[in-house]
Amino acid sequence: MQRLLIVFLSLMLGSAFAHTDHHGLNLGKKATELKDSGKKAHKRPNMSHTASLILQRKMHPDLLVHKRDKTLRQGVRGGSVQLKKCVECHASVDEHDEYIPINAPDQFCSTCHQKVGVSLDCFSCHRTTPAEEI
Amino acid sequence: MKKLNRREFIKGSATSTIGVATIASGISLTTFAAQPKETNPVTNEKRWGMLIDTNQLTEENIDDMVDACQQEQGWGGEEHSTGHQQAGWIKKLKVRDTTTGRISNLALMCQHCEEPPCVDVCPTNASMKREDGIVLVDKHLCIGCRYCMMACPYDARSFVHEDLTNQKEHMPRGKGTVESCTMCVHKVDKGEQPACVASVDSDAVIFGDLYDSSSKINQTLKKIQSTQIRADLNLNTAVRYSGV
Repeated sequence: MQRLLIVFLSLMLGSAFAHTDHHGLNLGKKATELKDSGKKAHKRPNMSHTASLILQRKMHPDLLVHKRDKTLRQGVRGGSVQLKKCVECHASVDEHDEYIPINAPDQFCSTCHQKVGVSLDCFSCHRTTPAEEI
Repeated sequence: MKKLNRREFIKGSATSTIGVATIASGISLTTFAAQPKETNPVTNEKRWGMLIDTNQLTEENIDDMVDACQQEQGWGGEEHSTGHQQAGWIKKLKVRDTTTGRISNLALMCQHCEEPPCVDVCPTNASMKREDGIVLVDKHLCIGCRYCMMACPYDARSFVHEDLTNQKEHMPRGKGTVESCTMCVHKVDKGEQPACVASVDSDAVIFGDLYDSSSKINQTLKKIQSTQIRADLNLNTAVRYSGV
């Protein structure tokens, strides 16, 4: 019984760490700055910050799909769910202070998607770096 | 360590399962509760339209309109596309009366028909008309079959033949999808004028709500003679021309 329990627990822990292992995750320039300054990005009302982040991690495709249809077909604009806002915070800069495409290997989007084997099709059309300041 | 018997183990795991379920239901509830400030959906109380006066519109004006469109939407820089593959959201068109030889210059783009043939033929519902009459391509659904390009009587649509980068933030464009004039929907939703209209100083191009009787376009259309191109097709276009 005890052995079984140990096996079960170690499996649970293993899968938990697989999800929480974000060492080496490239958060992106602005997002890292925000995190370092102690701001709680993606924080939702009536929910802890950790839970909000888990929600964001799990549900970002659904949130984006829902919003894209509303924006394109009904003309609903603004709000917090916007792909360009993802790119704005999570894009990194190289040594020349120029933005690296967010879908490039080891950038914010690709890190997880590579790991879980999901191919990402947003950026065959959408812009991969924040828009230049005008 | 205290030995767990089978019953205690099951009890313990049951409590943890309930905990997860509570979190999960909490998550789904808050997802719907968190509604940030978004604009309201557009309605069919408005119908955006354009009136182009070809008597006032000079050839330079049309070139400016094409340039403004390219600048705004980021098309026209396709390196690997040959002549007829190039994008052309707005075109300069010369029309010559064969009897008198009179030449008129038109700026021709998507006419944003009330009964759009492109929407009729689209197999995936990617070609669509918004409530306010703007005809768009939903590139998330577009499979690149190009039926809409064949159906369009105005040759207003083009197909992207190559991989693109550095698109405009408001105008995603990608290989394998069809695209056309969006009447600068991103600007119109903010209350601004389309880029091509803004690029012409004179009253040669007027943009506005066709239904609103106090709008300039509505009042002008009431006064002057205007036509729809290929009016015989009964598409009821939103782009009207005068002086043709």
